[in-house]
Amino acid sequence: MASSKQATGERPAGDQAAAGTPHRTWTRRDLLVRGGQTVAVAGAAVAAGWYLHDPVGDAGLQPPEPIRLKDYFAAVDFPAAAPRISAAYGKPELIDDLEHVRRMTVAALGGLDGQGIARFVSRGDVVMVKPNVGFDRGPQLGATTNPQVVRAVIQLCREAGASKVIVADNPIENPPACFAKSGIKEAAEAEGATVVIHASTHDRPVEVRPGSPDPARGEALSTWPIFWMPLREADKVIGIPAVKDHNLCHASAGLKNWYGLLGGRRNQFHQAIHHIISDLGYMMKPTLMVMDGTRVMMKNGPTGGRLDDIRVGGVTGRPAVVASVDQLACDSWCVQNLLGRDLAAVSYLDLAFQKFGHDPTRLVVHHWQEYRQQGKVVEETIEG
Amino acid sequence: MRITTVRIITQTAVVAIFLTFVFVTTLSHLEAMPALKFWVSKFLEIDPLVGIATAIATHTVYKGLLWSLLLLIPTLFLGRFFCNWICPYGIMHQFVGWVFNTRNAKQRIESNRYRRIFALKYYILIGMIVAAVFGSLQVGLLDPICLLHRSFTASLLPAMNMPDAVAGRWGDPKMHQLGWVIGFLLLFLVSMNLVIPRFFCRVLCPLGATLGVLSRFSLWRIERDPNKCIDCDLCLQSCEGACDPHTQLRKSECFVCFNCIEDCPHDALSFSLLPKRHHEVAWPDVPRRRAIYAAVVGVLFYPFAKLSGRTTRDFSTKVVRPPGSVEEIEFLERCIKCDQCIRVCPTNVLQPAMFEAGLEGLWTPVMNFRMGSCQLNCTACGQVCPTGAIQRLSIEEKLGLAPYEAQGPVKLGTAHYDHGRCLPWSKNIPCVVCEEVCPTSPKAIHSEYMQLLVRDGKKLVRSATATTLTLAEYPAPGTTISDLCSFRPGEYRGDQTTSYHVHIIHRDGTSETHRILGNDGDTLMIGELDPADGEVLVGSAFSRIPARDAVAAVHLEFKVPKIDTELCIGCGQCEMECPVVGDRRAVYVTPDGETRSQNDPHRDRNRSLLLLRSADASDGPHIDLRKWLA
Repeated sequence: MASSKQATGERPAGDQAAAGTPHRTWTRRDLLVRGGQTVAVAGAAVAAGWYLHDPVGDAGLQPPEPIRLKDYFAAVDFPAAAPRISAAYGKPELIDDLEHVRRMTVAALGGLDGQGIARFVSRGDVVMVKPNVGFDRGPQLGATTNPQVVRAVIQLCREAGASKVIVADNPIENPPACFAKSGIKEAAEAEGATVVIHASTHDRPVEVRPGSPDPARGEALSTWPIFWMPLREADKVIGIPAVKDHNLCHASAGLKNWYGLLGGRRNQFHQAIHHIISDLGYMMKPTLMVMDGTRVMMKNGPTGGRLDDIRVGGVTGRPAVVASVDQLACDSWCVQNLLGRDLAAVSYLDLAFQKFGHDPTRLVVHHWQEYRQQGKVVEETIEG
Repeated sequence: MRITTVRIITQTAVVAIFLTFVFVTTLSHLEAMPALKFWVSKFLEIDPLVGIATAIATHTVYKGLLWSLLLLIPTLFLGRFFCNWICPYGIMHQFVGWVFNTRNAKQRIESNRYRRIFALKYYILIGMIVAAVFGSLQVGLLDPICLLHRSFTASLLPAMNMPDAVAGRWGDPKMHQLGWVIGFLLLFLVSMNLVIPRFFCRVLCPLGATLGVLSRFSLWRIERDPNKCIDCDLCLQSCEGACDPHTQLRKSECFVCFNCIEDCPHDALSFSLLPKRHHEVAWPDVPRRRAIYAAVVGVLFYPFAKLSGRTTRDFSTKVVRPPGSVEEIEFLERCIKCDQCIRVCPTNVLQPAMFEAGLEGLWTPVMNFRMGSCQLNCTACGQVCPTGAIQRLSIEEKLGLAPYEAQGPVKLGTAHYDHGRCLPWSKNIPCVVCEEVCPTSPKAIHSEYMQLLVRDGKKLVRSATATTLTLAEYPAPGTTISDLCSFRPGEYRGDQTTSYHVHIIHRDGTSETHRILGNDGDTLMIGELDPADGEVLVGSAFSRIPARDAVAAVHLEFKVPKIDTELCIGCGQCEMECPVVGDRRAVYVTPDGETRSQNDPHRDRNRSLLLLRSADASDGPHIDLRKWLA
């Protein structure tokens, strides 16, 4: 059958000859075509080899150029005299009520600055919101950020004109399950925010500091894989941590919350946990911190698991939402006023001040009491 | 409408439904739509081979397996229609054979004649059923529904998820140990269609064999009218089953595809009720001696498999079964290796076993805590298990919450430390990630402060005050000369998770220990100041100034982890997150202490770790084997 097809003249004359007769004749045209093909393939091989050639032998092994995170606070024109920490207390029985939590959040932001969220988020901004979604636990167990606080913050960002709000975290447990169980996926999607689930392909090396770290100064990281996908397009970053006990570093709040941006072998970090946590604060200059002090995990942290482990409002007994532009001072405020811990036990706060306390591009003090003396701590209580 | 058109529409719909079920077998879909739990394993539940074989092995028909009657009864009337109308695997083979066909009409007629090798499936079935009589359920190895579910779970779907994960819609694709074996087996069986059309269905399929035997009783079948037939054999050119419609019909081989009726140019073929008996071959082509030989293989399979000891005395530490699993030997009577549990598992911890669970345990689910960990609030694996190898637990039952407080949580096993690898235990490196991630409350992993001598930590006192200590190196044996120490500045400052302490042994043998606040060259500073008045706190300075040449030992104090065996549920979160990532983590879970075997009276089957508190096993764990072993 095959030969009959060729006999009908569907193939070029040269091939027909090859199939039909033992003595094949080369025409000039054949020679040019075949010779041209050979030269083209040989030329392509030489060109590809030349282009890809690695004379030293290590070019293929070079790590990609690390990324440097933006200063997410740089675009905020924050008045020097304005309060730096603002706490709004609410009613314990209403911490799952969106309307009430929203009022707490609005009051906390309003305490910082009369303009509220508009001071921090401008029209058209892409805002990356970083709650704590670390565990596959329901919101009532306090191991993750209260979804109502997350939802209130997203609502406010939307109203301030944010073009896109991204909610992302790299949890310890299975990411889709953590987002679902914590209620944060539902909260985010109800407000039209985009949830980015972590995959290892989303990580890129980020430069925490130039050069190599000096362990004697409490430095640990230079470049590390960071959950880059959600940060790539972000103009602003808002941390919404849960305030919790922690088995190793005693307290988990705003600085520890950036841990959820880490990829790679982050389970090695417990060997120098205070160094790492303060390095994360050094790496990240957030636009704003909104601390969830509604359900505070007092013991068995950071996982908890029983209602006994949490206390609404921590030692104050009054649920709080705390807004701040100073990620260090508001951590110290929360550790002392919500967890009731001795600040001396939380070494990463001291290390963090050593690392970036004198950076003129940040608003950072060592201890919230300094703000209190300057009258820059405001508190407000929301009724019913 | 032509009957074959109806068949093609049905086949398309069935495949669409099957793929939908496969895609939605995930925790998030089941949580969003709990009604799906009823549906996602339905193809396995209507599979009569699964129903019959588990009934033979366990003497019960588990929950949804009664649905297999839905298929079994029409087969008794209509024959083996399942293979060409409903079986998604058979439909796939037919489709592939059609798309990649290179045979002309004549070659196709030859390729669709019956061959002796098509009887192989009956021998496979006999061997598997005989093994099931003894309690070893192996039908899932070749049952087409199990095989297709397993292939999707372990190889096809993860492959399809790879680009999806890169696009960021979902997390990393799931990984399965030796999933490529399952994937290439599927490719091989599909490729065999190019050699023998419907190779798997005609030669290997034990479900087809079961239905073939049942077809013996069918009332309707394809009937040839010899008066109209001109022996052109054109009926064979699209015959799916190779059932010889051109002569005496082999009832057990016919897939009821109706192609022959369509292809017959003389209308000699019809689907008739109770046609003439001498026009058919009613039974499969299985000589009795060969059937007995197959049965002998099945009989020997059982002792061969069991006497490896893998299910009893030589139980592998890697065989940690999913929550709600029944005791191992009973598990192997039930598990059909469909791997639906592996598909639905949200963390990827469930993996198809190779031979760690013995020969019988091939492709059964085991937990690999390097891949994931068992989440507290999840019992999805038991919800989709069609045969009850994994029982349907509620979250309350799994966690031992009310009303199951008395029996406590379901333990999968117990975590252990490898002190030789654990960073704090063997290397003086602070860590305790395991404690941080331990999800029970209170945590089963707790850490205690321990003081361990640092390297070259033994020194001699050169001079001292109440709050400082200048040290010299401890002289090597046989020498008395010792140099002053040369510490780096701040070497012994420590932090809140690790602190350094100096242990002084006075010349009279009494000793005292103080925290080192820091060091200035070779001089260590101790003595904490009272923040109120700046005085040295009582007890933090030396009670006696150490004399020259007293022994001073520098210790590092940090947390070392331990496990409270009673609280540990074997979820493997610690193993998953342990930073010592060798072939064996420094903390790892083994099945010791698993709930499912702790009431088993058989010494080699009982893997409990702690003495049962309760004398009455009925208020012990939820799976009480003693009741029906008695």
